[in-house]
Amino acid sequence: MAQISTVISRFYNDYSVKTPKKLKLIDAYLTYILITGVVQFIYCCLVGTFPFNSFLSGFISCVSCFVLGVCLRLQVNPENKHQFAGISPERGFADFIFAHVVLHLVVMNFIG
Amino acid sequence: MKSLIFLLFCIIVKINAQGNTLVLLDNQVIRETHSIFFKSLQDRGHTLTFKIADDSSLVLSKYGEYLYENLIIFAPTIEEFGGNLSVDTVTQFIDDGGNVLIAGNSVTGDVLRELASECGFEVDEEGSFVIDHLNFDASDEGRHTKLALSSENLIDASVIVGNKKSIKPLLYQGTGILTDSENPLVLPLLIADSTSYSYNPDQPIKEYPHAVGKDTVLVAGLQARNNARVVFSGSLAFFSDEYFTSAVSRKQGNLKSDKSGNDEVSTAITQWVFKEHGQLRVKSVTHHKEGEKAPPQDYTIMENVVYTIEIDILEKGQWKPFTANDIQLEFVRIDPFVRTTLQRKPNGQYEAKFKIPDVYGVYQFKVDYDRIGYTRLFSTTQVSVRPLEHTQYERFISCAYPYYAGAFSMMFGVFIFSIVFLHIKEDDKKSKSD
Repeated sequence: MAQISTVISRFYNDYSVKTPKKLKLIDAYLTYILITGVVQFIYCCLVGTFPFNSFLSGFISCVSCFVLGVCLRLQVNPENKHQFAGISPERGFADFIFAHVVLHLVVMNFIG
Repeated sequence: MKSLIFLLFCIIVKINAQGNTLVLLDNQVIRETHSIFFKSLQDRGHTLTFKIADDSSLVLSKYGEYLYENLIIFAPTIEEFGGNLSVDTVTQFIDDGGNVLIAGNSVTGDVLRELASECGFEVDEEGSFVIDHLNFDASDEGRHTKLALSSENLIDASVIVGNKKSIKPLLYQGTGILTDSENPLVLPLLIADSTSYSYNPDQPIKEYPHAVGKDTVLVAGLQARNNARVVFSGSLAFFSDEYFTSAVSRKQGNLKSDKSGNDEVSTAITQWVFKEHGQLRVKSVTHHKEGEKAPPQDYTIMENVVYTIEIDILEKGQWKPFTANDIQLEFVRIDPFVRTTLQRKPNGQYEAKFKIPDVYGVYQFKVDYDRIGYTRLFSTTQVSVRPLEHTQYERFISCAYPYYAGAFSMMFGVFIFSIVFLHIKEDDKKSKSD
């Protein structure tokens, strides 16, 4: 038990010291998305799937935002630089915004 | 003036006419012994053409057109037809919608056996009679082959045999017919009693008889898939003047009558086989949305639809509205999605109102009315059912607000995130340089 708590505290310390601020921001954003998605899913389980398209668009909007956020995180992470040679973090952010514009257009169309 | 009236009379007679009938006989004597039967046909407007069955000038069709609508074969002993006629041509005649009435007897010839088997009947061996040692008529000569039958033995279909309860007892002498009970097109119009069997009365019984009890069919009918009708009677005497006029008395069950019911039943059976009875047609089919009049280009799912059909029956040469309470409508997309009974309206139309299911696709309104004795009524109307248009969906449903909030919060989240993300960039670099 003590070991687990040391692992966790070590992990937390490492995370707060070594992770760049940008990535921390992205992580906070992802957590927010995750909570919103879970809340919608629980609501759907309680109320039923009646406006199914609304549920789908709300939920899928969360899922896709999460996926896009993870993608952005991968591209912005300095440790992955060699994998994304030639793609600057600015370019990655522009892609992220473009994908979001398309996603939300689709979601608004489908939400009914 | 007189000639004009005569002309009018001729026209009226022509309208009432039922079409040509070819009568094939063994010999001209049958014409005399069955005169009441032929007279009743002629009185109903049939034009009868009598021919001997092996006449070498026999033709059914000329230049691809049939000369006759109906065929009566009262030639049980004939071994081969004369002229152009053969089993093939008669079968072709039935396939093309012609109606045939055949009577055999205990010495039914090969050509009739073959014809019967083409129609799904099997005639018992040569020389065999239907024998019943309990239910024979008083006038029987000792072989117990002249059967006196109660009208209970008739098929339960008033359109074919008339009102079963009021029919007097029937006389029958002849061979038995076997039918395949699996064949849905073959109808046993008259069956023997449970004490009957079919065998040669002059021989000791060595083998199990081919037909025993109620499996012995005396008069069999067939309505083919093209609505052509065929009746095969195992007894020619059934239609004879002698049987029409003679009294019936049977010890068993105290069956007694001054006059047999053969006349009545054979009239009803010929009316059925020559399509004077039980012929249905669809007069009109309409469908539209509830509250509208004209059929739309296409229906939308979940709409209320009204389907109307008019059905006619041929009665005495005229089409009249048909009355029944068991006509069903199916709304079919491969499988039926809706099956409902059509309601009869006072004006003789049948109507069904229902809600189109929540499934889009190409559907058919299908009425398939197939009842014993009636011609098969089959009508399909194809319509397409489309999903809701993009603007037809319900909007701002209260229980969907969390989802709306979720979707918008995602948008808002991206917005805030972008601003913060772009701004902490500088701090990040500074911290790195530190």
